[in-house]
Amino acid sequence: MPKYDIVVVGAGNAGMSAALQCQLLGLKTLLIEKHNLPGGAATSFVRGRFEIDPSLHELCDYGPADNPGDVRTMMADYGVKANFIEVGECFRCVSTYRDGTPMDVTMPAGIEAFIDKMEFYVPGSREKMTQLFDLFQEVLDGIAYITASRGNPDKAVLGTTYANMLKTGAYSTQEVFDALELPERCQDILSTYWSYLGVDMEHLAFIHYAAMVHKYTSRGAYILKHTSHELATAMVERFRELGGDVWFNCRAEEFLFRGEHCCGVRTNMGVVDCNYVLANINPDIIYGTMMPKELVPEREKKLSAARDRKIGGRMYTAYFCLDCTAEELGIHDYTIFLPGTADSPTEYDNIMKGMKYNNFSIFNCYNIANPECSPPGTCLCGFTTFGSPVDWNDLKQEDYFRFKEEGIDKLLANLKEKLGFDLSGHIEEIEICSPWTFARYLGVPEGGVYGYEPRDWDGMMARMQMIAYDYPIKGLRPIGAAGPRGDGYAASMICGRLMALNALLDLKKWKEEGGKA
Amino acid sequence: MAKLNVTISADPRIDMMKFATMAKVREEAIQAAPAKEVSGVFPINENAKALHPDYLDLVVDSIIDRGEAQAKTFVLRRKDGAPLPYFRAGQYISLKLPLEGSFVTRSYSLCCSPKAALEGKYAITVRANPGGFAADRLLAGLKVGDPVISSGPQGFFYYEKLRDAKHVVGLAGGSGITPFLSLAEAIRDGVENFSLTLLFGSRDEKNILFREELDEIARVCPKFKVVHVLSEEEKEGFEYGFITAELIKKYAPEGEEFSVYLCGPEAMYRFLKPEIEKLGLPERLFRRKLIDVTKTPWDCEGYPQEARGRSFTILVRQGPQEWTIPASADEPVLVAVERAGIKAPSRCRAGECGWCRSRLLSGTVFIPQDNEMRRWADVHYGYIHPCCSFPTSDLTLEVPGEFF
Repeated sequence: MPKYDIVVVGAGNAGMSAALQCQLLGLKTLLIEKHNLPGGAATSFVRGRFEIDPSLHELCDYGPADNPGDVRTMMADYGVKANFIEVGECFRCVSTYRDGTPMDVTMPAGIEAFIDKMEFYVPGSREKMTQLFDLFQEVLDGIAYITASRGNPDKAVLGTTYANMLKTGAYSTQEVFDALELPERCQDILSTYWSYLGVDMEHLAFIHYAAMVHKYTSRGAYILKHTSHELATAMVERFRELGGDVWFNCRAEEFLFRGEHCCGVRTNMGVVDCNYVLANINPDIIYGTMMPKELVPEREKKLSAARDRKIGGRMYTAYFCLDCTAEELGIHDYTIFLPGTADSPTEYDNIMKGMKYNNFSIFNCYNIANPECSPPGTCLCGFTTFGSPVDWNDLKQEDYFRFKEEGIDKLLANLKEKLGFDLSGHIEEIEICSPWTFARYLGVPEGGVYGYEPRDWDGMMARMQMIAYDYPIKGLRPIGAAGPRGDGYAASMICGRLMALNALLDLKKWKEEGGKA
Repeated sequence: MAKLNVTISADPRIDMMKFATMAKVREEAIQAAPAKEVSGVFPINENAKALHPDYLDLVVDSIIDRGEAQAKTFVLRRKDGAPLPYFRAGQYISLKLPLEGSFVTRSYSLCCSPKAALEGKYAITVRANPGGFAADRLLAGLKVGDPVISSGPQGFFYYEKLRDAKHVVGLAGGSGITPFLSLAEAIRDGVENFSLTLLFGSRDEKNILFREELDEIARVCPKFKVVHVLSEEEKEGFEYGFITAELIKKYAPEGEEFSVYLCGPEAMYRFLKPEIEKLGLPERLFRRKLIDVTKTPWDCEGYPQEARGRSFTILVRQGPQEWTIPASADEPVLVAVERAGIKAPSRCRAGECGWCRSRLLSGTVFIPQDNEMRRWADVHYGYIHPCCSFPTSDLTLEVPGEFF
């Protein structure tokens, strides 16, 4: 068995990015993946004559060539080529304002266009919206600065150049909106994006929200022409080109230690020796099931207990391959948010109470952004909502198939009632994925694809400031959505890259201290 | 960069110092928590694992000889008799059979009600297949108490109320009856709620598989009806000949939308294709259980005839291991890999499930159009499904690992 400098466990977005970065740094890298294809959530599946992307709605932070986002830059640095398509508008949201009035708004991409449209829906909002977007920009620049400093920013620079980020950085989005005195309807429309981070506006750190919304509005959102599997395969093939090894259907069972230093991985394909492991696995799973209990540091036990299983984004989704066009159904929008109300704390609570109370969904029609994503005369649509442990913890197998179907049936009825889209009689293929599906496929706790909720004390900025403390295990770093940058393709890829760079430093230090290769 | 005006700093609700203390606040929250052991076990994940295991270690619980129908039903259970993963009527399991130094995969539809799984039982039925490799060895060799490695339930040949019509006309031929027996039992047991009219083609009356079972379900369950179609025997009470568009129309519900499900041997598919086209059904109302890849690839459109009958060499890589193995142009790549005793993944053997997805590093293969169900990027980057790819040159192939 060959020995590797680094084994990256899990070819999810973070793992693929980490593996590419490691290989580019000249480290001999093995990427292992428990499935027979790469990507984790960035994947696709085939049903009949359709190929379906199960996860990517809107890739944040890719951007056009003249205003590249982190993902575009990263792909260029890695030499990864894939066909990205711009989505166009930001979103349509059909809901109810907190004042009880029905809401039906469609927000365009582009900061000026977004502010103009907001002025149209909420007359007199322009000045406040402009201030808000200036603030977003500063926050974004500040995060980039802190990321570049790998968690060790110069306090003087922060205090002068990024003063407004400092002012708002420790507050919830709702608190900052209130402080800015943004009109309530403005707030309601802006709150639409809360679900992409899985934490309601009262608990969602402003800095995290600001970074995301600014990226979507300024750079637009992107998807892949041939599903996320195209991107995943392109990344893995590029990694091989650079000299990396990839083993599929290779599952890490246990991390092996020499003293306190992780030095290998036991897998179904044998033991792999290495000097370092980057594991695209949730820390709770690693600490609880994949390493000797006595080597789990006290602080990591406390961190896990403090997080108390607050898992984000337990996905519950359905995909419809329809035998008619979007036009024939009257669908003209790519992403339509359908929350019960614009009051996000109420929405969050209802989701956590289970499908009986959950009225939240996002409806996508992929053909609007990517007309060639399905055969001529057909279209691909999907629902996304969130599951709750209330429903999915104790569900019996014999009730499972019916239960997951009934939940989606409810969303279909809601779609018909609110928007008049009637999918019945057109469904050629259907697949429903519950939190069980995501738990099984991704191995994430409770099927939560957002890692730990980035809420209150455990927000993105707080995590970023503590990168130096959060990885006490020698030779092993978890990467992925549970990491400092939170969830999403872009965040996970950035996290993978960041941890690969840190791994290089760790390895240098370890060798200087006499660590044996 | 435009700077924010002073509204925020003047607001008493915003305390600039709070940013500096974020790390401290977080650390305090962490330190206040108990240093208890991390469990890493979550009910949702445990449920998912139980429903979708990597593999099942089963034993043969009992065997029912089907006499003149030349088949045996093998009832399988776990060693300890614990419940088995629930399934959707119509799904199959894929067996890993250690036969003569190979690990051979064969998929068999479950031919029992999903309720049987709760009682710890699965049933499959194997029919004699003269000249076939696995079926005859199973019929002759598999005894009560023998161990069997199986996948969990798989496949998409099941009733889906959000998609299918309320009435299904089933077309079965030979051992293609097995998923329909499961569907019929599921309707009888109230697990599924739709009407099934089954047109079942057999050679002659004594050759009808599950005759008594099907007739009994039809007797007690008004939503299920079976019509026996005999191709070699003309007899009162039976339809004679082959299943045709005319026959389907005769038994299909009148003035009501219906779905057609098809499961049978390759020859039946070829015969029925134009018949089903005559019905003018939209694609969503026609579902078929995919069968094994063709045994005569040279009859398929686009086959490079010069490859037929030739022998090739495949360099197979799996993780750190490597083998050089012989292959015939007349058999799928997977067969060569299995024959060499390499544990490589596969399940459906029809190109549908993608479980065997492997990377073709060099060489060329022929893929019949009926089995071409690869992802776009897999086609683009040279990944193949070895179960339905025929070698047309020497190959270098990287196969994934396995879990059994």
